[in-house]
Amino acid sequence: MPGTVHNLSEHSLIPAAAGIGLRFAHHELVLQARPDVAWFEVHAENFFGGGAVRRVLENVRRDYPLSLHGVGLSLGSAEPLDGEHLHRLAGLVRSIEPGLVSEHLSWSVVGGQYLADLLPLPMTEEALDVVCRHVEQAQAALQRRILIENPSTYLQFRHSTIPEWEFLAALAQRTGCGLLCDVNNIFVSASNHGWDPQSYLQGLPAAAVEEIHLAGHAVRVLDNGSTVRIDNHGACVAAEVWALYVQALRRFGARPTLIEWDTDIPAFEVLLDEASQAATLMRAVAAEDHACAA
Amino acid sequence: MPALLELQLALRGRLFAEASSADDAPSLDDALLAGEDSALRLAIYRNTCMSALVNALRLSFPAVQRLVGADFFEAAAQQFIRASLPTSAYLNDYGADFPGFLSHFAPAAGLVYLGDVARLEWAVNRALHAGDALRLDLTGLAGLDEAALSRVSFTAHPAVTLLRLESPADAIWRSVLEQNDAAMAAIDLTGGPVHLLVERDAAGVQVRRLGAAAWEFTAQLCAGRPLYAVLAAGRHAMADAWLAEHLAAGRFVQFYVVAPSAGDSRL
Repeated sequence: MPGTVHNLSEHSLIPAAAGIGLRFAHHELVLQARPDVAWFEVHAENFFGGGAVRRVLENVRRDYPLSLHGVGLSLGSAEPLDGEHLHRLAGLVRSIEPGLVSEHLSWSVVGGQYLADLLPLPMTEEALDVVCRHVEQAQAALQRRILIENPSTYLQFRHSTIPEWEFLAALAQRTGCGLLCDVNNIFVSASNHGWDPQSYLQGLPAAAVEEIHLAGHAVRVLDNGSTVRIDNHGACVAAEVWALYVQALRRFGARPTLIEWDTDIPAFEVLLDEASQAATLMRAVAAEDHACAA
Repeated sequence: MPALLELQLALRGRLFAEASSADDAPSLDDALLAGEDSALRLAIYRNTCMSALVNALRLSFPAVQRLVGADFFEAAAQQFIRASLPTSAYLNDYGADFPGFLSHFAPAAGLVYLGDVARLEWAVNRALHAGDALRLDLTGLAGLDEAALSRVSFTAHPAVTLLRLESPADAIWRSVLEQNDAAMAAIDLTGGPVHLLVERDAAGVQVRRLGAAAWEFTAQLCAGRPLYAVLAAGRHAMADAWLAEHLAAGRFVQFYVVAPSAGDSRL
């Protein structure tokens, strides 16, 4: 049967090590060269169809731990989830048996139309109820726990009443979902809204954080002279984000850490270098723990 | 304070309204933090949403973009997107109506074959991303009696599309993607119509030209007309060979027996 993958148990778990977001540009290279990468993550929606790309995914899955990262479920939509989308995701999860499945604290669908971006939610009790309901529905359909990623945002709403980190903590507590802590997103949103990134990290329940994302961002000066940081996944991880990553490791412990790059995708070696830097920091923080214990 | 649904509908209006006719959604203005700054920040989302969708169309219609140029393509795509946002987050399914839009897009009226090239690219996109399907297992036919056999229809592989196009769009498509100006210049633009079969095999997506009779035979089978009826109506001398080739190529994934009275309803 097409789509069957063997020996899943060997590579099922995502290790607490540095992985790389696999994009089309590097499919051939990974298949041919089998680079030394601890694990890969892919965008689930890119593999909803069949054909050659699906064969690539099955091939990668045979040799590497694999995580599925959804970008289109729109858990924050006031309207019901798209059942067909959830069905397709469930089919992919069944066939690939990924080590982790994650989605976003955001919305993209309204009036039955997909707006093609991860849009910000007001942090209200109503939104929390909606997201909890949808996360529970998704976890039931996928028959597994999922991780929810903190978003990068440029807008805030006046009627928000819950700090974003408390919203995520409540979501994890109420639904049993895990959290994907995107350190770059914390830095971007904190800069854009004047939040304290340390408070954000402290506010997340450490036991729920099962994965970390790192990526580069852009800095843009708006027409009125104010500065906004844009989460474009189009650069090396910023120095401030590496520093915040160290804080995250101290708070959460070693966690699977992903390097993401989606705009102007560079040579694969650049991603390997970023992953190697994350691994070095993970080892350094682990050594601190040893020193403290000794 | 707007309810979540009201807020999301208002944001959609703002994200996809023409810049000149900025949607008036007072509930949104009241909901957003910081006046002038929020409009500029909203524009970041506007750009991201629109460029993600234009990009999705660009990936599915590369030859159309080469034919009209990047700027023209972007303008046409933006107009299409504002009128027909995707209904699913699976963007490989987005753009089925773009060929029809282009056929009636007045600024492109001079390129009479543009809609046909877009139709072909949509079929290629479909073939590229269609789900995998098992090969047709014919052994089940042995259990059918004569009456049932006479009503057997086939389900085509989801990657298969049959196109009858007025212009030689396959030749145009190939030479455009290969950037072969000499081949492009040699195309007889009045040399249509062409009868095409688009499919996916082990080597990738294939665009094949069929003869008019073979195409008609295949199109009827793919549309679910019972094999016996197609054979009886067409008196095709080559039908055996065509059918054998379709089966060998895995173009059908399932057979079913049509109900005797209702010509096309499935059991």
